[in-house]
Amino acid sequence: MRAVRWALGGFGLAAGGYAGWLLTRRPDDLLAVLAWLAGGVIAHDLVLAPLVLGVCLLGSRLLPARAHAGAVLALAVFGSITLVAIPVLVGFGAKADNPTLLDRNYLLGWMSIGALTLAASVVVAFRDRRGGT
Amino acid sequence: MSPGAAPHRLLPSETSFSTRLRSPAVAARVGVWLGVCFALAFVTGLISHAAQEPSWPFPTRPVWGYRVSQGLHVISGTAAVPLLLVKLWAVFPKLFVRPPRASRELLIHLAERGSIAVLVAAAIFQLATGLANSAQWYPWTFSFRATHYAVGWLAVGALVLHIAVKLPLITGALLGPLDEPTQHGVEPVAQVREGGLSRRALLRTTWAAAGVAVLATAGSTVPALRRVSSLGVRSGGGPGGIPINKTARAAGVTASATSPAYRLTIAYAGREVTLTTAELGELSRHTERLPIACVEGWSASGEWTGVRIRTLLELVEAPIGVAVRVESLQQRGSFRAIELPANFADDPLTLLATGLGGEPLSLDHGYPCRLIAPNRPGVLQTKWVTRLDVLT
Repeated sequence: MRAVRWALGGFGLAAGGYAGWLLTRRPDDLLAVLAWLAGGVIAHDLVLAPLVLGVCLLGSRLLPARAHAGAVLALAVFGSITLVAIPVLVGFGAKADNPTLLDRNYLLGWMSIGALTLAASVVVAFRDRRGGT
Repeated sequence: MSPGAAPHRLLPSETSFSTRLRSPAVAARVGVWLGVCFALAFVTGLISHAAQEPSWPFPTRPVWGYRVSQGLHVISGTAAVPLLLVKLWAVFPKLFVRPPRASRELLIHLAERGSIAVLVAAAIFQLATGLANSAQWYPWTFSFRATHYAVGWLAVGALVLHIAVKLPLITGALLGPLDEPTQHGVEPVAQVREGGLSRRALLRTTWAAAGVAVLATAGSTVPALRRVSSLGVRSGGGPGGIPINKTARAAGVTASATSPAYRLTIAYAGREVTLTTAELGELSRHTERLPIACVEGWSASGEWTGVRIRTLLELVEAPIGVAVRVESLQQRGSFRAIELPANFADDPLTLLATGLGGEPLSLDHGYPCRLIAPNRPGVLQTKWVTRLDVLT
């Protein structure tokens, strides 16, 4: 175990060092890359995580206990789908001369996933009540 | 409660969070699948990087190799989004651990937290930039390809280092039971109640979220999922049954590609052969079923008709085993001219296509002719080809 850990640690440090070298080879990009690296952490730790904790706290106060499992399902599935969908929902990559790119009704697609998730969480809530857990 | 954590601080402490669901048992199990996704994305990312470096050897078979590999790259990255979110949720209290006072412990503590910060930053960066890129959205100033490649190494390096540090904890958590009785010694201050949710249910929910994310997007590359993937970046439609990445208008070639003055030039060692569109059509043609697979993760298979590159090279008596520089009518762009390695130039499946799906090639697919080769990223399947230079 000790040797495996040292080997993994060594590889990890070497790969990280290689990444650092690759990044410094493009000095003009470096500042923007660092800003995006830090921005992701800030967006998660200071915005998304407190938001999710707030929603959980609110949900645990407002919803009956048997609805919790379903609510967590809805939050996890629909929350992550919403993040995944941001690029297609905002559609900034769409081009007027290319009808084959971003060629779906994404708002409808996103809302249908929302509706299906809600239905699934209701089913879970009722199944949990029947099961008496 | 640990003696150091006072209940009325402005910042929460590690013990402010409930621990039943946020356990190593949960974090390690989600972490395993998150690691699998990152490993898949890393390996397929390396394959894609190799495919785009003409100096690196790259095979022409299997024909569908790049299609599968790049499809997996985007699918594993998409599946990683819910996995990463749940993993970060499970370890979020660690963010509020009070640093130790003793200088040696403090140093180790800071080093570990620094490596975790790099890991989280790199992971979020890769998923966010990758997803935006798949939708052709570039809200940044840096080069996507070079940066996504470098930060890929950073993410994997920090991940492997993290595994090395946590290995005893990880193996203990994975070998131990998933369900553990609540530790009654810890009384949360601002408890976030999880209701009746069990660890098992949380894991099932996580796998469901990853599955939904994949099903909702993978139709861009998996034909069977086209009707299911309501968030896919491509529905798969387009002229000849294949979507378009860059239109002739966007490339600025509409006039030059349709001009009667268009010529295809093939050059080798001072010899030059020039063909009109009609003359190109008179050469012996072959029809091959080949996929076009974009670096952005979408792909589609088409029936391409055209002249073998090898047939064209015979016109200038170029020997077997030579690489070819393929030049487009495009005036700008980093893929205006590409190098076709010798093994691709020699391959009988590598065509200069003039037709797709039984129809003449559409202007947006590269009329009058475009390169199509097996096992190759879409950006290197040059459209509106005007010149083939044999490299010696």
